[in-house]
Amino acid sequence: MKSAIIKKLSAISGKKSPEAAGSPEGSSKGSPEDRVARRLSLHMAMAVREIYDAIAMEKNRPVSMTPFDTLFKNFADAPEKILPTGPRKKIGIYCMAVPEELIYAAGALPVRLCAGSGDAAEAGEALFPDVSCPMVKAATGFTRTGVLPMYRECDLIIIPTTCDWKVKLGELISRHVPVMMLSVPKFKAAESSRRFWYAEIRRLMHALEKVTGKRITRKKLRAAMDMMHKAQQEFRRLQTLRMDDLSLIRGRDAAAVANAWFYMDGADWTLAARNLNEELLERKEKGIGTAPRTAPRILLTGSPVIFPNWKIPDLIENAGGTLTCDELCSSGRLLWDMACIDEPLFDDMLDALADRCLLPCTCPVFTDREDRKTRLFRMIKDYRVEGVVHHVLKGCHPYDMELRPLEAELAAAGVSQLKIETDYSPEDTEPLRTRVEAFVETLKGRRLRMGKSA
Amino acid sequence: MRVDRIRLFVQALCFVFLIYGGLTIFSIGTAIPTMACIYAENRGGSCFLYPFQRFLSMPWAMLFGSAATAFLIYLGTFFLWALVFGKTFCGWICPLGFLQDLITKIREWVGIDGSRFAWKTRDRFQWVKYALLALLILLPMGIGNSLLGLPRFTPDLAVPFCQICPGKPLIPLFEGDLSHLIIDFSSTTKLVLSSLSMLIAGLFLVGGFVKRRYICAFCPMAALLSLFDRIGFVGLKKKGEACTCCGNCFRACPMEIREIAELRDKKHMVTQDCMLCMRCIEVCPENKALTATIIGLPVFSASAEGFLKRQNKTASAGGPFHGETPALQDTATDPESASK
Repeated sequence: MKSAIIKKLSAISGKKSPEAAGSPEGSSKGSPEDRVARRLSLHMAMAVREIYDAIAMEKNRPVSMTPFDTLFKNFADAPEKILPTGPRKKIGIYCMAVPEELIYAAGALPVRLCAGSGDAAEAGEALFPDVSCPMVKAATGFTRTGVLPMYRECDLIIIPTTCDWKVKLGELISRHVPVMMLSVPKFKAAESSRRFWYAEIRRLMHALEKVTGKRITRKKLRAAMDMMHKAQQEFRRLQTLRMDDLSLIRGRDAAAVANAWFYMDGADWTLAARNLNEELLERKEKGIGTAPRTAPRILLTGSPVIFPNWKIPDLIENAGGTLTCDELCSSGRLLWDMACIDEPLFDDMLDALADRCLLPCTCPVFTDREDRKTRLFRMIKDYRVEGVVHHVLKGCHPYDMELRPLEAELAAAGVSQLKIETDYSPEDTEPLRTRVEAFVETLKGRRLRMGKSA
Repeated sequence: MRVDRIRLFVQALCFVFLIYGGLTIFSIGTAIPTMACIYAENRGGSCFLYPFQRFLSMPWAMLFGSAATAFLIYLGTFFLWALVFGKTFCGWICPLGFLQDLITKIREWVGIDGSRFAWKTRDRFQWVKYALLALLILLPMGIGNSLLGLPRFTPDLAVPFCQICPGKPLIPLFEGDLSHLIIDFSSTTKLVLSSLSMLIAGLFLVGGFVKRRYICAFCPMAALLSLFDRIGFVGLKKKGEACTCCGNCFRACPMEIREIAELRDKKHMVTQDCMLCMRCIEVCPENKALTATIIGLPVFSASAEGFLKRQNKTASAGGPFHGETPALQDTATDPESASK
């Protein structure tokens, strides 16, 4: 069993062929890098299987999650099968600031490489200071070990300079993959910022045309934007279904659906999401929920939650809360904002795309938190949220910086909150479980008191 | 149906009526707050500003004496029009607005990129329309009376705004009347005014081709109508908490009004330049973030569903530049067919 995994691993670990790894079975341990890669591959596979073993025990899970499950199981079983096969060029992206429509219009497949594996973070750790973003560590880990082939086979990787970690990520991985940096202005309100960003998007367009060898025409861009709208429609439908009193889908699963967008082809994803939405609609009529109606409704906000790091959503829902919505760039925000297709000219369409990626973005790397605050308050109202969980990854300074004033504003509005500072490693799960359980109990108690008073 | 298209249709109807309506012996009066030019022979109604300036150029004694009733009736009619329709005159009725929108349509059809004012430039010229409004009130007054002891102005200055309004040379053209395309050398004042008129008419055509609704940024009628922004029957309301500041509305706005996208705490969005074209509502993807109201009742609200529906229609419509087959399906998103 083990040797089979190792065999598979050497076949997929980046550029090195099994001959180059060069050892007859079981004798030498190989170079340190190989060992790191092997360990990462093993541990990640274990983590993924653990997740799916736990999921297999769950009742009432929508059947339409299957395509998404298959995708994520591939992380353990067949990393080379994660991405759809085909002759298409693959463009790696980080963050939400890259307009994926442009990549589709260039006939390529966008792959969002933001990573959530604690083991990968460990593998990449050597290059980083003590306190640093686990997401960037994980991405570096995957790229350097080549355990997930998609981190190596992208024809271009686009990194927007959102947070400081992303700014430096480009240099760290450029030894292994071609990287293009996209400079994101941090002050959205100035005209100069916007003009600068428009120019950056045009630079991106030219780079994509060069890499793919295809011209991005108005017609292709329209088709790509239309495809995106179809996906966004399903995404919004899913989010709207979650507003229902009955929790129709676990927050973790909803996050997984959004997460799958990272790797799936847009049209395929839309189809799978549509099936899921249909099923959820049916379940709504039948009254089948994933949590009892007494479960307090919780909003998760803060640093991204990416597969296989389902720690926080699982903690919340296993403690008896229901994660009705999240304001995360990896799921709840992912496909929300929509650009106009009916701009008169090609140039205007590019501007529309640029605006979509910049202006409504609630990422804390921008100078003011007004947009995020507004969005949070709106979600609290729309989803009838009872408690907010702030998720701060250790080293994710932008969210951490924004937290205190935001907490104060939410507290002033009478919202119960819990701040969780953690990373991808499962070490602190138990202490966190205690805190989350206490929080959920408080919310339950509060609901009872409110019920009595009313 | 895109509001844009409906609007263009309404504009065309109003244009035909206002320019040729007189042929049907039917007229809706001469106190309409829109640039329906009085110099068009067969007009079905005409601009309020011409009689307004005429009244103001009467000596005080006459204006407040024998002509007072007529003047008040004029003002009252104007007031009613403005109260009921407000800025919809600019977006849906004004013939000059229609002409500019047509020019823009031609530009887009040819495929030439438009231009926008730099924010600073736009802010810097906001006062121009108020200055023009002040002038078109003060200058005529100075003809009939002596203002502050100044000598009375020459009667050549009569209806000064109409002398320079681009409507005067351009709108009669639609009736084959070329007589206003002149530079009048009969007096210095007339020479200056008619030269200005030609210049502004040229600017109207060129500017309108470069930028959407170029001349509207300087229109004194808009300044006058904006007095009714808050009390008018037609309103545009914004729900700040639903707005994500995505900028769709700002990009779509022909008048380049930034407030619409950037202010969350402002409720009444009919600003001084707004022409109530409703395009912002159409492109807003957030439920009820923007709403058009008539006497406070919502008539058209932004919604994600409506947004997607309209966008989907445009995407699959297939205009002159784009076929109806999704270009992606064969080349990009379907690897199987691409490889075969």
